Amino acid sequence: MKQKSLINRLGGQKFIVLLVVIALFAFFCALSPDFRKVTTFIDILSKSYYLIFMAIGVTFPLITGGVDLSIGTGLICYSLAGGYLIVQKGVPTGVGILVCLLFGILIGFINGWLIAVMDLPAFLATLCTCMITRGLGSICSKSMGICWPQNGTPGGEFRSIFKIVVNRNQYPVGIIWALIVVAIMAFVLNHTKIGRYTFAIGSNKEAAILSGINVKFYHIMSYVISGFFAALAAVAYSAVFTTVQPGTGAGFELEAIGGAIIGGVSATGGAGSIEGTLIGVFVICLLKTGLPFIGLQANWQQIITGLVLIGAVLVDIIKRKKEEAV
Amino acid sequence: MKKRILATLISVAMVASMVVGCGSQAAAPAAAPAAEAPAEEAKEEAAPAEEAAPAEEAAPAEAAGDLTFEIIVKSYQSSYWQAAVTGINQRAGELGVTANCTGPNAESDIADQVNMLNNAINNAPNGIGLAACDQDAVLDSLQAAMDKGIPVVCFDSGVPNAPAGSVVSTVATDNYSAGATAADNLYPALKSRIGNGQVRIGEINQEATSNSIISRGLGFIDKFAELAAADGYTVAVIGNEKYVNDCKAEKADEATADIVIEVAVPAQTTVELCATEASAIMNKSDVIGMFGSNQVAAEGILTANDTLQVLGTSDDTVLAAGFDAGSVIKGAIKAGTMFGAVTQSPLAMGITTIDVLVAAANGESVSDVPTDGYWYNADNMEDASIAPNLYD
Repeated sequence: MKQKSLINRLGGQKFIVLLVVIALFAFFCALSPDFRKVTTFIDILSKSYYLIFMAIGVTFPLITGGVDLSIGTGLICYSLAGGYLIVQKGVPTGVGILVCLLFGILIGFINGWLIAVMDLPAFLATLCTCMITRGLGSICSKSMGICWPQNGTPGGEFRSIFKIVVNRNQYPVGIIWALIVVAIMAFVLNHTKIGRYTFAIGSNKEAAILSGINVKFYHIMSYVISGFFAALAAVAYSAVFTTVQPGTGAGFELEAIGGAIIGGVSATGGAGSIEGTLIGVFVICLLKTGLPFIGLQANWQQIITGLVLIGAVLVDIIKRKKEEAV
Repeated sequence: MKKRILATLISVAMVASMVVGCGSQAAAPAAAPAAEAPAEEAKEEAAPAEEAAPAEEAAPAEAAGDLTFEIIVKSYQSSYWQAAVTGINQRAGELGVTANCTGPNAESDIADQVNMLNNAINNAPNGIGLAACDQDAVLDSLQAAMDKGIPVVCFDSGVPNAPAGSVVSTVATDNYSAGATAADNLYPALKSRIGNGQVRIGEINQEATSNSIISRGLGFIDKFAELAAADGYTVAVIGNEKYVNDCKAEKADEATADIVIEVAVPAQTTVELCATEASAIMNKSDVIGMFGSNQVAAEGILTANDTLQVLGTSDDTVLAAGFDAGSVIKGAIKAGTMFGAVTQSPLAMGITTIDVLVAAANGESVSDVPTDGYWYNADNMEDASIAPNLYD
């Protein structure tokens, strides 16, 4: 009993997940000498930014007891729309990024409106917008793959937001931005009305309504935040990777949601933290990058990621049951 | 009341998703005007394409009249398919026939494509052009097309087990020899580094289901192993079971082989997953060469290299061979990051497909038309015979 309280004092599930991250890291380092390289760490970071942003965003709907399934295909859709304007229409990269972000906010608002005002189940509403954004992305880009401007070409400077290269030395500065965003959003979640009412909606919506909170507004806000962060993720994705392909993106949302849940966001709402989500995402990223290093074929990678998720949700449920028993 | 609103919304959402689904069809013709530059290049292409097609097609061109063809591509994911569609639309316009192009959102959407094929058969066109995502999934539909008397011309990818008589012609790059072309050019450049301890060659294939990708992958492995064996080196092939089991190379033990060819296939056909697989291989200290068997796989290798910085064209770097073109790959070859790549001629393939469809619809006998794959690198990519095939 005492030991449990020690873990709780250190941050509860967050602490356990941090240990899992360290253990996974040690495990891959031990098994694969090639994994123990600076470039691998930079690689893991580069590929984590878009997942971190998506997971931070989706944490809000998850805490309200909902979910946002549209962030994965949405990411590709926003990226295609912004990229099409930049590459085919010659607008400045900054404007393309702005369009991308506004697009994300719009889809987030539609999600929120469907769920908070029209009372659609979150699962259903965002599944529909998931399909819609998937098709919309193809239409925006005229069904073509789009590659945002490359490093060293006009308009390609935005890629150095996430990684600065000086004489072959690479500095993954994206992680600094990611940490700053985590700090800001952790503040928003814990110390502002938006955050506290998000928890209130997730814990007991009726009570929140009765206590005079404008539940509809704050419920919509949680999806707007999710949409905005999906669009930030779109910028990160376009900056790190090359050709963005229409029709892809389905599955990203599951990695982000998985990361958030591993990090302690309750699958039934009402609990969660941004720091936890960040750590949870790194479990997913480590598995994604590390498993190929130990020679595991792609299909097995997916199975193991699925098993880890089951484990994380089980921990959540067992914890809840114990709390209820007490 | 609430229930009714919900029901209305759900039906709106369903209709919306249907509209979205049709969007890809509507977008198909739109892709053509968007790619104006390739269309101009296409004029130069048209001449060799006519030579490549069976000779008897020149005459029926005028008599083509109101023929309608349904064309199903693998997806519009890469500019490769956009070039093929440009070729199809251009030739259809010239001959005054109607070609309705469609294709699934992604090359891995096998079930979607089968649906599109079935819809196409129900429209009872004069012929169907098909680039199959999965060579086994389309077999029943091909039988149905044959029962209805609709000739099917496969392009880009063949369907080897098609019911006899259903596919009247296959217009495709000889993918096996195109893959071998990459090995033909990569091996001599790496030869001096083989024999002093084990070396590794990585191969990234975006999937293990379509005939074209499998053939390229196997063509590369078999040719590389053949060239190595001729010089007295032993080769081990490891990684994805499909490729390991199907390659003809004489497999040595991984522990003692002079050369290890490691084949990786990601779970989905996206650049970022190809990049993860490529990173895992390129991080190994004994890697001297990489091969990516299509645009997505080759871009995956280049994305991995963004961080690793191991690719180049000198003796202390990893030499990477790609496949197809696109701005990223062309840029990397120009910059000396990528050693070279094999390109096909999607424009010519599209043009030839329409020619063969017209001939088949007019009841002429048609046969398979192989198209070529060409090796290109920084030295020859501006050549008149190569440049028109290097779409952006």
